[in-house]
Amino acid sequence: MLKEVHMPKLSPKSDDYFFGKWVKKPGDAVKTGDVLFEVETDKVISQVESQEDGILKDQKVATGDSTKVGDLVATIEVA
Amino acid sequence: MKTEKEEPALKKPDWLKVTYDQKKVDQMNDLLSGLKLNTVCAEANCPNLGECFGSGSASFIILGPNCTRACRFCDIPHGHPKEVDLFEPLRVAQATKKLGLSHVVITSVDRDDLPDLGADQFVRTIKAIKELMPHTTIEVLTPDFQGREDCLDKVIAAGPDVFNHNMETVRRITPKVRNRATYDTSLHVLDYVKQHAPKDMYVKTGIMLGLGEKDEEVYQLMDDLRAIDVDFLTIGQYVQPGPKNYTMREWVPMKRYQKYYKEAMSRGFKFVASSPLVRSSYKAKEELEAVENR
Repeated sequence: MLKEVHMPKLSPKSDDYFFGKWVKKPGDAVKTGDVLFEVETDKVISQVESQEDGILKDQKVATGDSTKVGDLVATIEVA
Repeated sequence: MKTEKEEPALKKPDWLKVTYDQKKVDQMNDLLSGLKLNTVCAEANCPNLGECFGSGSASFIILGPNCTRACRFCDIPHGHPKEVDLFEPLRVAQATKKLGLSHVVITSVDRDDLPDLGADQFVRTIKAIKELMPHTTIEVLTPDFQGREDCLDKVIAAGPDVFNHNMETVRRITPKVRNRATYDTSLHVLDYVKQHAPKDMYVKTGIMLGLGEKDEEVYQLMDDLRAIDVDFLTIGQYVQPGPKNYTMREWVPMKRYQKYYKEAMSRGFKFVASSPLVRSSYKAKEELEAVENR
């Protein structure tokens, strides 16, 4: 089953972030708690962890992109 | 999805990387909003929010959400203050219980509009926590109460375990970043509390780095604090909340935090936390435990 990963709310005050970089590549196995990607918010670089076990399929954003809370970021194939 | 937007200013250093577990943060947010409570963690957009909320710890900010002062370093909304909520102290105590906190930090916005400047709400909150959670240690992080000793007396008498009031920065920079607060008033607050509090109440303060302060100014501040026997000092990096706030001058290198730690300890502070992500209430529990178990 394909699960969508959406941009979480990382800052109480803002919903617009810079996408930092991918830590996992498409095809990589990911476990719950693994860092998937990094996002730059106003005050920090947030390392966002996977909430699923599976295989990272598609990356929908790239370094430097502006993203909003709720945007589709990736898909994960879950067994 | 790709849109034109300005690049972020001054590249963030690697140590600003923090982890974020949305499920845990959501759980905490649900509990807090259910109790209609504000935290300084969320109000000030704290970099450590993910870590602290993830581990079930939070610092409550009472009398908010709006502050009557507009300090240029601060992210807390400046605006028309709300009426004092007399049930807020009880809800803070309930949250302390629900979260099972063994140490709780209570701070507030400035309330220059109130006759008691907010001191009574501190007292009510301390009492409520003591009633509901008698073994929880309590740390207050107070405004300067305009230096008014009657306000300080009230909070001291309520008996928190740690009395914190932040100096924020060195003398020269204080008027540039603080609003209606002076270096000498803050020193007076700390001095008065130290002199009038019971011996087992610790007095604590904190400063930010990256505002353009020089070594000798930081050392002078340490000397001023030790001259009035302040016990704990926290030192952390200022992170500019937005373009309208005071411009951050630099990301202070780790080496300087280590240098200041040594300088501060050699001056006789009982506890010093000096690291970029240190905030006044960050790991406050561990700090108190370290001193008590010595």
